[in-house]
Amino acid sequence: MELVLDGVRKVFGGVVAVADVSAVIPQDQVTALIGPNGAGKTTLFNAVTGFDPPDQGTITFGGRRINGLPPWRVAELGLIRTFQTPVGFTTLTVRESMLAAATPWFMETPRGAFGLGPGFGRKGRKLERDAEIRTGEIAAELGLEDLLDVRTDELSAGDRKLLEFARQLMAQPKMLLLDEPAAAVAPANIGRLSQLVRRLCDERGLGSLIIDHNLSFLMQIADEVHVLDQGVLIASGPPEAIAADPEVMRVYLGEQAAEGAGP
Amino acid sequence: MTNPVFWVGVLTLALIYGSLAMVLNVESGWGGMWDLGVAGLLASGAYCYIILGIDDPDLGTRFVPGLPMWLAWPLAAAFTGLVALAIALPSLRLRREYFLITTLAFAEIIRQIAVIQADLTRGTTGFSSLDRPFDTLVEPRDYNYVLLGIVAFAALVVYLITRRIGTSAYGRTLRAARDNEALALALGKRVNRMRIKTFVVAGVLIGAIAPLYLFYIRAITPQLFAPGITFTIWTALVIGGIGSIRGGLVGAVVLIVFTEAVGLIEVDPQYINILVSIEPFLVGLLLVLVLRFRPDGLISERNAFGTRAGRRARRVPA
Repeated sequence: MELVLDGVRKVFGGVVAVADVSAVIPQDQVTALIGPNGAGKTTLFNAVTGFDPPDQGTITFGGRRINGLPPWRVAELGLIRTFQTPVGFTTLTVRESMLAAATPWFMETPRGAFGLGPGFGRKGRKLERDAEIRTGEIAAELGLEDLLDVRTDELSAGDRKLLEFARQLMAQPKMLLLDEPAAAVAPANIGRLSQLVRRLCDERGLGSLIIDHNLSFLMQIADEVHVLDQGVLIASGPPEAIAADPEVMRVYLGEQAAEGAGP
Repeated sequence: MTNPVFWVGVLTLALIYGSLAMVLNVESGWGGMWDLGVAGLLASGAYCYIILGIDDPDLGTRFVPGLPMWLAWPLAAAFTGLVALAIALPSLRLRREYFLITTLAFAEIIRQIAVIQADLTRGTTGFSSLDRPFDTLVEPRDYNYVLLGIVAFAALVVYLITRRIGTSAYGRTLRAARDNEALALALGKRVNRMRIKTFVVAGVLIGAIAPLYLFYIRAITPQLFAPGITFTIWTALVIGGIGSIRGGLVGAVVLIVFTEAVGLIEVDPQYINILVSIEPFLVGLLLVLVLRFRPDGLISERNAFGTRAGRRARRVPA
């Protein structure tokens, strides 16, 4: 299952946020999307996931056209995204959040609450038991097993980030879309984070598309890098080639230097 | 003060409000839909029940269906579900305060229809001396106890239904989507469809409770469904604890008993007007005190859903 963007364009008022971007995101590797602030990275994410459909162009996933589909339908097809700030389901516990991510839609209806409909009887109970087992496994894998009964709004920022991954994995994705996973992560933990993402994807054969500002993080983790500047895809290639590209240096590292002076 | 019949009536009313507050909690507490149109749904159920049961042509209404009570009751609930669907489809395109205003407007429209469509509803005259279940079996003065029994049974059923919803995967996802709609969508949750269904379920339940309210009041006019009743139910829910399971019931009992007890204070007749006008003030004071000292209500959502282990783990340093 690969994600294919063909001539994707998004305009806000008179501003071209994403200008005819075409790219192929394969399923068996980690792909990074970098670019300075306002380059159109999140806009592209929103276009792919149905939150803000593109004005032109087509997006296909596994050969199936997904632009124009509502966000929940895109997610059902296996494209699961995160958001820049990992707020989560604030009042739900870790366990509830993870179970909610795994629950099929037909259990989440008034009928389903009374054990009727497609989740009737033994089938429904088996689905629930399987989800509980997977919750335990994934929580253990991510080191969240002691926090299962803690509410999301009482987790530390780091644990909340881990919960993002946990929820995504519970939803049984085919490809992960990560929006700035390294934001607000202490530099000392970046290495651990990139290992984690790599391992989660490799073990499950998941593809992933990652947006981030943190170049060293992306260079560690990505198999392929796409560079976006003012809505235009200016370079694509393996991390080493991108790091050596003078045009990328100019638009991107200039921005990095400016950012380094900030907080 | 010591008249038991009086307190039977107070408890009956409290359980009716409590049932409505538990239903409101499903859509507003867990579903995050701030519904200010409870009065409209209650009116739909009540009028549908009354109109289907009309068996006296002398009342001058256009239809005299004369359906028996046991048939009119479920039909009234189903009809209210349809009204709820009609309200939900446009209103759920809006969020939060915009949704709230729209539902309030729909409730007022329904009340105005009840005034204007006098050939169906007898307008502001309304209906009185309604038949009540089992009222031929006991002496009229003992009927209050029968009604309390019926209402208590209904409150139990509503409690069991709403608790089942709250503890199911359905309730969990409702709360998830309330906390973070974008995230719920990103996990493949059919948020809008789920909310519409929830609003309709709430409508059916409110429609099913509506006849009980009529049995208690024993008369029906459009004025009965002014917004005040919606606010009373909301106040009960806030006092009891939005998002908890039993909060609506507990809050309604506290609120109604408190309100009625204020009315019982014995004062010199010359001060009776002051007492009457101070009553809403005291209810407001109760609400403020609850919000000050128990901001999540008497029973909070955290206590209803958090496990003991989770409450202990709160002390774990971040």
